[in-house]
Amino acid sequence: MDATFTIQLIIQGVLLGGIYGLIAMGLSLIFGVMGVINFAHGQMMVMAMYVSYWIFVLLGIDPYLSLIVVVAVIFVLGYFIQATVVNRIIDYPEAMQVLPLVSIGLILENLALLFWGPDHRSPQTILSLQSIWIGPIMIDVSRLVAFVLAIFITSLIFLFLKKTNIGKCIRAASDNRMGAILVGIDVNRIYNASFGLGAATTAAAGVLLLPLMPISPHMGHDFTLTAFIVVILGGMGNLLGALVGGLILGIAELVSTLFLPATLKQVVSFSILIIIMLFRPQGLFGGKK
Amino acid sequence: MPRKKLGNMNRRTFIKTSGVIGLGVAASNFGVPKLLRAAPPTIKIGSVQPATGPLAVIGVGQRRGNQLAVDYINAMGGIKSMDGAKLELLLGDSESKPEIGRSEADRLIKAGAAVMTGPFQSGVALAISTLCEQRQVPFIMDVAALDKITDKGYKYTYRVFITVSGLLNGAIKYLKMVTEQKGVMPKRAVVTNTADAFGKGMSGGFVKFLEKSGLPIEVVDKVQYPLGIHDLSAEVARIKAAKPDILFPVSRPGDGIILTRELYKQRVELMGIFGPGSPGWYEPDVIKALDKLIYYVMVNVPWINPSSQVYQQANAAFQKAHNRYLDTNSAYAYTGVLVIADILERATSTDPEKILAATRQTNFTNHPVVGGPVQFDQKGNNTGAQTALIQVQPDQDLLKRVKIVAPQEFVQSDKIVFPAPQLWKR
Repeated sequence: MDATFTIQLIIQGVLLGGIYGLIAMGLSLIFGVMGVINFAHGQMMVMAMYVSYWIFVLLGIDPYLSLIVVVAVIFVLGYFIQATVVNRIIDYPEAMQVLPLVSIGLILENLALLFWGPDHRSPQTILSLQSIWIGPIMIDVSRLVAFVLAIFITSLIFLFLKKTNIGKCIRAASDNRMGAILVGIDVNRIYNASFGLGAATTAAAGVLLLPLMPISPHMGHDFTLTAFIVVILGGMGNLLGALVGGLILGIAELVSTLFLPATLKQVVSFSILIIIMLFRPQGLFGGKK
Repeated sequence: MPRKKLGNMNRRTFIKTSGVIGLGVAASNFGVPKLLRAAPPTIKIGSVQPATGPLAVIGVGQRRGNQLAVDYINAMGGIKSMDGAKLELLLGDSESKPEIGRSEADRLIKAGAAVMTGPFQSGVALAISTLCEQRQVPFIMDVAALDKITDKGYKYTYRVFITVSGLLNGAIKYLKMVTEQKGVMPKRAVVTNTADAFGKGMSGGFVKFLEKSGLPIEVVDKVQYPLGIHDLSAEVARIKAAKPDILFPVSRPGDGIILTRELYKQRVELMGIFGPGSPGWYEPDVIKALDKLIYYVMVNVPWINPSSQVYQQANAAFQKAHNRYLDTNSAYAYTGVLVIADILERATSTDPEKILAATRQTNFTNHPVVGGPVQFDQKGNNTGAQTALIQVQPDQDLLKRVKIVAPQEFVQSDKIVFPAPQLWKR
């Protein structure tokens, strides 16, 4: 095989993997704190993409600049969903938690269909078409920016959880709910904030992806699945695991193009999932939080 | 107790209720008085289209095309040879699935459809054609391309649209035309397609037709990817590694955009992009999203004839009703009903045998699409159906960027640009 081609694929895989990691981080955070799997995760990301798209089309503000606003909007959405729905079902058996969240996903998906129609929207932003060349190797600038920001946001979340009061409360509520209640933490509010934070992370990933791919209302589902695989790969509830899992999946998907047709990409992702489930069910970084 | 309740009912409630019912009955008769409606009987046309499901956008457009033609015929006085009988469109929804399409068609036939039309998808067409043969109801398809539908030798099935082999013949014909006219010949080609039934069939067929064509173009790689893919960077890296001169994509609206941007970013050198026949390159939102990057893409496709008066009139009405232009699929749906009306006019009856006799004699010229007069051959295919070669060319007006460059009698721009300037040098 062509060496240039292989290196090209690995670089693109790493860059894509960073974004996968960011998408999965939100899912992992929500699971780590509340033990709930957010099946509306991909749809929340698509919502963020549409909001960002709207700001771009109506106000002419580039997605990178509107990032903060979009993240705030989706944070509120996540907070609201946790406060109204998820807090009520948090003690239910897992199988029963699935349906309300799947329903929320469907509602978001159809709202997007209602507001924006089924067409593919694809704004051309400043960086959409930029690339850097190192010899024969191309680095896609919007992908690079997305990767760097993804790593940056991940580090911010780490610091937030380690250093701030709310972060400590979140970790406390996640470690021992009863204990947290006993020392006077308003666990429900902490849960709301955690769900909001998880939603906000995926929103950031969505905005970073906007220059890279056309949005359509039905794409959310695919990303929920991707995030799910990444989280299982890295270990449920482990944030570093989400990042590493994202990188592994990104590289595996792209490098598989060397040997396999693109239609079998999903076979690669799911094979990784099954192998991990068989040999290390707690995930690569599972067992500690 | 019950008596008292009944008594109450008889007094006040009865008066109120009967008033409401009376109003309802009166209202339902207001618009169309029964006696008048009965005078010339309406002729029912059953239209099964994919109005929901993954092809909903197209299916709704098809219905609108059908309905627009029905309204037009009725406004012009209905079917004159049958005392001005009005047409009525019965709607069925295939949900983009063959088995549902068949049961919907059955329902419409039971509701009195004299002629059936639709159904956009070839799979659905196969199911309905068998049903229509059993029920002895003429089935005049507006859109459906698979050859197999009319290869079965059914007596009741006819198609206004082009066949897949017609589409592929068109692609090869235009490819020869362009390379001869411009005196350049690409040597290496990559064919890409989405992994759905249409994408696979179309690209497989195209590769075979290209081999038989005698053109010295070698297909060096075939790249297939799933429908609704979000990222084509790896696929484009693979295309680049194959070093093609020309790209033959069989795509869908979303992937045309991703593919082109990725070709730009990875600086894939090409003489041009030539679509053998697929969407993804001429929809207004795609043209808008890609702007300069989509210039000079050529696609072989059954197309509207914007200079015809029929098209201009229909398009104006369509714009007014739905605020979007009459695209090629809806225009074929419109044509389908016009052809049916023409057949009924000559059949002077809704008797299936008379309709079939009139169908075989069809010679319908006044339609809004590129092609000759609609005439049906032995199999029931339209011998006038034809593709156009379109090329996206610079124009201030976004909607005018798609230009017909062949066949000669329909051209909007006589300048074909090939080889095209590289994407990043525009």
